[in-house]
Amino acid sequence: MTHLLPWLLWLWLCLVLAAALFYAPLGEQFIGQSSRILFAHVPVAWASFVAFLAAGFWSLRYLLGGRRLRHDAAAASAVELGLLFGLLATLTGALWARIEWGTYWNWDPRQTSIVLALLFYGAYLALRSAVEEAEARRRLAASYATLGLVVAPFFFFVVPRLTFSLHPEPVVNVAGQVEMDPRMLQVLLAAGVGFLALFFWLHNLRCRIALLRERQEAGGAP
Amino acid sequence: MFAREWRGEARTRYALGTVVLFAFSTLVVTSLALGPLGVAAPERATVLPALLWLILLFAAAAGLPRSFVQEQDRQTATALRLAATPSALFCGKALFSLTLLWGLQALVTPVFLALMQLSAASPRGLVLALAAGGYGLAVTSTLIAAIISQARARGALFAVLAFPVLVPLLVMAVELTRAAVAGEAATVALGQLILYDAAVTVASLMLFPTVWNP
Repeated sequence: MTHLLPWLLWLWLCLVLAAALFYAPLGEQFIGQSSRILFAHVPVAWASFVAFLAAGFWSLRYLLGGRRLRHDAAAASAVELGLLFGLLATLTGALWARIEWGTYWNWDPRQTSIVLALLFYGAYLALRSAVEEAEARRRLAASYATLGLVVAPFFFFVVPRLTFSLHPEPVVNVAGQVEMDPRMLQVLLAAGVGFLALFFWLHNLRCRIALLRERQEAGGAP
Repeated sequence: MFAREWRGEARTRYALGTVVLFAFSTLVVTSLALGPLGVAAPERATVLPALLWLILLFAAAAGLPRSFVQEQDRQTATALRLAATPSALFCGKALFSLTLLWGLQALVTPVFLALMQLSAASPRGLVLALAAGGYGLAVTSTLIAAIISQARARGALFAVLAFPVLVPLLVMAVELTRAAVAGEAATVALGQLILYDAAVTVASLMLFPTVWNP
């Protein structure tokens, strides 16, 4: 039964794509068809945020919960996928900004914060690749990720004051109100579910690969 | 631990020499590149605090990682693990880095102000900004130094690991310095910077035993 789930996911994502192109109306006050990128950009950004939270969570579990291999593998896989999704969010965002704001990049607070997140997790992977001994690699990487968790809240103080924002009002906003066409919202939420499921599926695969590799290096049968 | 660090430093004068010379070289290059007139007067308060912190950041990145790297190189790390508790070790190393950085700031900042024809409207604010920023810089650098001392390609790795963690500190320190130069009050930024210092201190004290002991 479980081997059917990936196919269901692909079917779901194809439906989301079709709905994004043909079912959802265009956003008002947007140039041309540019609002349709919303259905890829926002879910991918959500997925990368969830991935980075998950990486922090698994790193803490690793440090506090008896140094288990699978917790470390889960943290490392979450960082890799978070980087991938974050990169996609940055690229789709830059494309949209080129059309809507006339420039690929203008250090909007969201652009600033995603670049800093990407730098941090790039550094995390650089650290992992620079430590040879496996035990030290896991211990140091988890410590660095935890330091990142401690520092991250300060970006909420710092980033907004660097520049004012042109970014459209987030869907999950302070007022708690959703100001969006209901059909657009349906497609967006469906896409969000799809991309989060995609993340968890890929994460599961990456974790299993990492654990198998670990076991192979340790000399046991894969 | 703190006394041991300074005794070792007194023998070699490596860290002090590196940090001070590095800071002054960068300062000279910056000043030469800007030309004899420096930055135009209206822009001084916005541009120069950022330059000052860049100089301090680079000098710190050049000198501070050594505190743990040399223990690994001289193979004294294992002896240290046996001789001192992790918290004593961390506090000693962090205090050493802190006094080194504060000393560096005391040397470099007056020269910087003089060369760049900058005067601080609120000298007290400037001292506070430098002290609070230097504290966070020293503590964070000490923890990152302990991490990278166990890795390969240490010099490059220090900058890569330290930069993302230090960004909030640098932004707040630059803003505080700018406010001090312009003579504005910046209590919110000072509070946030002190909060950052406290958070980094607690996190480092809790993480250091994990980083240090296999």
